[in-house]
Amino acid sequence: MARPRRSRRALTTLLILLLLSVTIITLDETGHAHFFTSGLKSLASDIYSPLRRGVNDVLDPVGRLFAGAVDYGSLERENQKLQNEILAIEGQRSAVAAGQRQLIELERLQATDRLPSIVSLPAVVAQVTAQNVSDFAATVNIDKGGDQGVRLGDPVVGPGGLVGEVVTVHHGNATVRLLTDGKSEIGVSFGHRQQATLEGVGPNRSLQIQYVPSTAAVSRGELIETSGLQGAALPPGIPVARVTSVHSVVGAADKQVWAKPLADLNGLSYVEVILWSGSS
Amino acid sequence: MSGRAVVRALLVVAVALLAQATVVLDVRLGGMSPDIMFLLPIAAGVVAGPVEGAAVGFLAGFAADLLTPTPLGLSALVGTVVGFGVGAISGSLVREVRGLPTVVALGASAVAVMLYAVLGAVLGESQFLHVNLPVVVVVVAVPNALLAGPAVRLMRWALTPPDQGSVAGGIR
Repeated sequence: MARPRRSRRALTTLLILLLLSVTIITLDETGHAHFFTSGLKSLASDIYSPLRRGVNDVLDPVGRLFAGAVDYGSLERENQKLQNEILAIEGQRSAVAAGQRQLIELERLQATDRLPSIVSLPAVVAQVTAQNVSDFAATVNIDKGGDQGVRLGDPVVGPGGLVGEVVTVHHGNATVRLLTDGKSEIGVSFGHRQQATLEGVGPNRSLQIQYVPSTAAVSRGELIETSGLQGAALPPGIPVARVTSVHSVVGAADKQVWAKPLADLNGLSYVEVILWSGSS
Repeated sequence: MSGRAVVRALLVVAVALLAQATVVLDVRLGGMSPDIMFLLPIAAGVVAGPVEGAAVGFLAGFAADLLTPTPLGLSALVGTVVGFGVGAISGSLVREVRGLPTVVALGASAVAVMLYAVLGAVLGESQFLHVNLPVVVVVVAVPNALLAGPAVRLMRWALTPPDQGSVAGGIR
């Protein structure tokens, strides 16, 4: 008697939780109550961001020290005291090297990326706090948000060129969808005012350029920039990618064109958010 | 679940979420990161059965959804199904088999990742199927299998009443 009652309870629990999950998904996806679900995400992000930063600040030096220990191998076994000194020095050196790398990247960003097309637009420099928080989405979290003027759809540039666009904004942080994300789709131009659409097909994969007519002249190494057509989501002239391969298929109306982002999307430390949505 | 168990389970989920967002996220294998949030419902199902597995799966999934740019509720749905499934299957298995949680965590994590990708694609997130799914499955399932032992102990601490060695329906 107890067993059927227990399994009935289990099935009822399952049914309730499934219905609850489906309801939340529906509310989030349909847009009717999206303000509520995005508010929840914003609240969670505001609570967790300082915690995450605190834990990272504590664990980063430990991780670097550990990395130093792994790198040294067996040579230091001869002298325990010397090993400890070397590990400590290595840990410090790793921390300094990482800091120097970030500084160089920041300087590069500030020196080279004020492109003519965006130099007149206001911008904020943001630090990347987390990369690819889900294996199913190519995104980065940055430490600037609505309080600093960041808005949905703002373009984000890194050393080299366009990185992506802002897709979620919280008070003090935001999420940037990278060019490689499967949902990323931007208008681009190349050659002699040739227009096309650049699409991401997943994290760590090449970018696909769609709608390139088979008659269009496009070659390997060609620079791809944002098109900035009337009503475009991004300002014109931001370098985005370089063409890596071009294939013409007999009988097909379009060429198959692939490109590689100019910015190193896996090694971002600092980025610049162009406050375009507010100014356009 | 008693009030004490709910509080402890919430605490475990909060700590696991913080670990996922910091230490685990920094671990990159083939460009992907492990996902210990799927491990929680698996451990809860193994320890306490389908009801607790589903409840912890919903909680852990919902918490993970709050910090990821993917549809809210999707991980909760997958966590619920996986936690319930693991609890239901574990209850019918031989309880004394050594290493059973490891095997269950390996298989259930793989199922969870694939279910997540397929349900995401059904909900319009077609790019979920464009990721290197076999790599994601391995990167999530193998670490979860290795961490199954500690996770089971943690869930036993959270869900088992103080006067009991294990909860009905679970594995001792």
